[in-house]
Amino acid sequence: MLLQLNNIFKWVNAGGQRTFLLKDINLTVKEGEFISIMGPSGSGKTTLLNVIGMLDGFNEGEYHFMDESVHQLKEKHRANLYKEYIGFVFQAYHLIDELTVYENIETPLLYKKFKSAERKALVADMLDRFNIVGKKDLFPEQLSGGQQQLVGIARALISKPKLILADEPTGNLNSKQGEEIMELFKQLNEEGVTILQVTHSEKNAAYGSRIIELLDGRKVSL
Amino acid sequence: MIKNNFKIAWRNILKNKGVFLLNILGLATGITSCLLLTLFITDELSYDKFNEQSDRIARVVFRGKVGGEVMKEAVVMAPVAQTLKEEFPEVADATRIRRVGTPKISYGNTVYRNSRFAYVDPNFFEIFTLPVVRGNSVNPLGEPNSIVLTRDEARKYFGDTDPIGKELLVGENHEPFRVTAIIDKVPENSHFHFDMFASMLGYLPAKGTSWTKSDFFTYLLLNKGTDIRSVENKLPSVVESHMGPQLKDEIGMSFADFTKDNQIGLFLQPLTEIHLNSDFASASELEQGGDIKYIYIFGAVGIFMLCIACINFMNLSTATAAKRAKEVGIRKVLGSEKIQLVYQFLTESFIATCIATVIGILVVILILPLFNDLSGKAIDLSFLLQYRVWLLLFLMIAGISLAAGAYPAFVLSSFAPVSALKNKFFTGKGTKTLRNGLVVFQFVISAGLIFATLVVGRQMSYIQNKNIGYEREQILVLRDAYLLGNNQTAFKNEILKDPRVKNITTSSYLPAGPSNNSMSGIFLNGNYQRRMFYYDVDEHYLPVMGMELVAGRNFSKDFGRDSLKIIINETATEVLGFKDDPIGKTLVRDTDNGGEELTVIGVVKDFHFKSLHQQIDPLILRNNPYGGLILRTTVADMSGLIESIRGTWNKFDSGEPFTYTVLDDSYRETYHAEQKMGDILRIFALLTIFIACLGLFGLVTFTTEQRLKEIGIRKVLGSNVPQIVTLLSKDFLKLILLSFTIAFPLGYYFMDRWLRDFAYRTEMAWWVFVLAALITMLIAMITIGFKSIKAALENPVKSLKTE
Repeated sequence: MLLQLNNIFKWVNAGGQRTFLLKDINLTVKEGEFISIMGPSGSGKTTLLNVIGMLDGFNEGEYHFMDESVHQLKEKHRANLYKEYIGFVFQAYHLIDELTVYENIETPLLYKKFKSAERKALVADMLDRFNIVGKKDLFPEQLSGGQQQLVGIARALISKPKLILADEPTGNLNSKQGEEIMELFKQLNEEGVTILQVTHSEKNAAYGSRIIELLDGRKVSL
Repeated sequence: MIKNNFKIAWRNILKNKGVFLLNILGLATGITSCLLLTLFITDELSYDKFNEQSDRIARVVFRGKVGGEVMKEAVVMAPVAQTLKEEFPEVADATRIRRVGTPKISYGNTVYRNSRFAYVDPNFFEIFTLPVVRGNSVNPLGEPNSIVLTRDEARKYFGDTDPIGKELLVGENHEPFRVTAIIDKVPENSHFHFDMFASMLGYLPAKGTSWTKSDFFTYLLLNKGTDIRSVENKLPSVVESHMGPQLKDEIGMSFADFTKDNQIGLFLQPLTEIHLNSDFASASELEQGGDIKYIYIFGAVGIFMLCIACINFMNLSTATAAKRAKEVGIRKVLGSEKIQLVYQFLTESFIATCIATVIGILVVILILPLFNDLSGKAIDLSFLLQYRVWLLLFLMIAGISLAAGAYPAFVLSSFAPVSALKNKFFTGKGTKTLRNGLVVFQFVISAGLIFATLVVGRQMSYIQNKNIGYEREQILVLRDAYLLGNNQTAFKNEILKDPRVKNITTSSYLPAGPSNNSMSGIFLNGNYQRRMFYYDVDEHYLPVMGMELVAGRNFSKDFGRDSLKIIINETATEVLGFKDDPIGKTLVRDTDNGGEELTVIGVVKDFHFKSLHQQIDPLILRNNPYGGLILRTTVADMSGLIESIRGTWNKFDSGEPFTYTVLDDSYRETYHAEQKMGDILRIFALLTIFIACLGLFGLVTFTTEQRLKEIGIRKVLGSNVPQIVTLLSKDFLKLILLSFTIAFPLGYYFMDRWLRDFAYRTEMAWWVFVLAALITMLIAMITIGFKSIKAALENPVKSLKTE
């Protein structure tokens, strides 16, 4: 078991009324799974992903990640946890505009205080693997959307995470680029990386081994 | 990591060139100004500190109030030095200066009248640190008629030949003085500058025993660790025991009786306070000093400018925060600690500060000559060699990058990653209050400085335009005309033939510029009253000077020599109690042979014969012509006339150089210090406002950017451009109005104190406040308008699409 959510509730108080963003979510993810989260706009997909990624908190419930009880951890420990084990891929890629492809991929290693030689080797491997060696000195704006997302995934993978959280990774891409990215995810999953993706597309969801459907913050049992 | 920080910082700078340039411009301006002001202040504070014993030297001064006359003298009586040295064990040594002006000095055929000459006691060079570079360095003034020159002065008379042992002839009597030593020069930052120091040993007045005549600048060298105040506290008894008996002889009053209604006393003034903290009239002081008030003002302005530049930096950085928020979010998700982001932002502000500092130093080097010109200083580039300057620069860079970078660093880095990624961060109420506070602070200072500049300008023009009781324009002064001796009358008649010369009077007394200065004790009905200023003039004086007679008559040849007749000014009629019927009243002037009775024949309207800093004193004009010539001319541009008079002068072949002054120039010269300070203040006020506007510009950019969507929606809903501009500027205008309520009371308080130094001054009329407010408002409006109009004109589709 990689992570487990027990009776997670998240809400906001607006105008004297409590609006639930997540309602009684129970979820167990085992290592090596490839899960797709689906649901209409506003159903809480991204919120759930952020909660799992520890970027966002929750109001009630228990969250176990590996052997840690996330709900009991302090902010700082939580941050350390996700930095260690989780890689993020975003719909809008979220590359740093001021950095080159090479530097974007390198950044997480800098924060993990890897030695320069080590960084070089790891980034070079990654560039090689994604076949973007020739683009390493380009800036994000000089790349196509698919290429940017490729860099985004490379960056998420560089620190060898156990879990990849992808929030509509193909949302901004055309169908051909999207397909390539999904193929890549599939391949990664086969190599042992656990993947949780949010998607609108049935076709993309089908790449996963399991689909979780959300509606108004609730898990809809299939 | 550090290398990486620098790399990112640099790329960010390149990416936001506009904001970066605003930052650099503001900071560099602030740093340049601050450096210049620091140099100015350091120089002012360094006065007389070149003396190795400066902390042990004190000057003895005289203060008192006699018969309503406030007496402040930087000179004291001849025996004071010797007496204090003998009576107080704390006084290690004492030395005196007796200044003689610029007497005629000749060596062979070389004759000059421009060497600043002083008699000093032989121990002078043991107390003041003016090292001898050539000649007798042990006791150069040990013999009577020995003299020490500065290097430049020696070259003037002796060229390249060895000056030691040569003889100079001093004064009209050609008294010989032998050169015994050469000193380098008196440093710029000394409160006295003489070219020649003659030994006081052969100078008779130095041996005087009178305790009622003050002529000697007197300095005490105190023993190490002596408290100046403890010595000063013992001075009243010295005054009583030595001055008392002499006072009784002179005015027939015992010291105890005299001090019942009058106060007199000797006081000590630390050497290092003379330049900035002296309140002696310029005629009494060795040289025009500085003013500690200006040190405070400039110090405050310098600090304010730096603060404002820092605030700009903070505000401009927050303005770009929206653009940086996404990056912060990504970095946090990628594993950055908050502190690493803080470092990154601080690196950026550090780079900007360094660049601004380098630019600042370069600009200072470039404009230093200009600044020296403006401030009347002689600061050279050697200041760059002082480690203290570098220490200051280092502290400045560290301080500014921390102060300017801290706010963006800590605010930006604390954005929660999720909201930052969604561009949905808010800067809470606290930061908004802080930012508003900073804007108010900037405008308090800007509006305050504008107000101060206006008041100073008004006072200056008040001085220029005030009816000072005489007509100072078109008056030419030939103070040295007496040197023609018996030929003076012929010379006078010759130049009177020139139609451009309307009238000429013979007198050495002038209400502005170099003038003789005499005071006499006055008795009424056998009772000593007080001292009064005393002018020797002739019957042409009043018409030439354009002074108005309010009662009686002028001196006239028709009434014989009129030599015991006087004209007094209005203030004198009041002081003497002659107000109702002054004509025909008599008074007795104290003279060495028992006094002379003088009769009032006229009253002249009060005119300002001292600077407007002082009240008009009582004055007596007596018909006793001697001295130089004063010409009333009919031309505004006197250069042609001066040339033709020079021709006439040379015809008389006196061997004396022709010199002249223009009275109007001398008058302006009187207020040179204020004028100079006013100019400096104006320039730095303008710069401060400039920096503040840069900041305002940045802030408007910030709010406009934040409200871009709102503006778009409003436009789609039908709002027009003026409405949007009003929407964007309203809040700022409120802040600026608020700043007025702080700036003006503060401005009023400080300017009132400045104005109080002038006995005659303009008042701070309501419209000065209004004008200052309007100017500030206008500048701010232009700054705000520029950006907000641009935002209002933007196509709403563009701004709405960004969501």
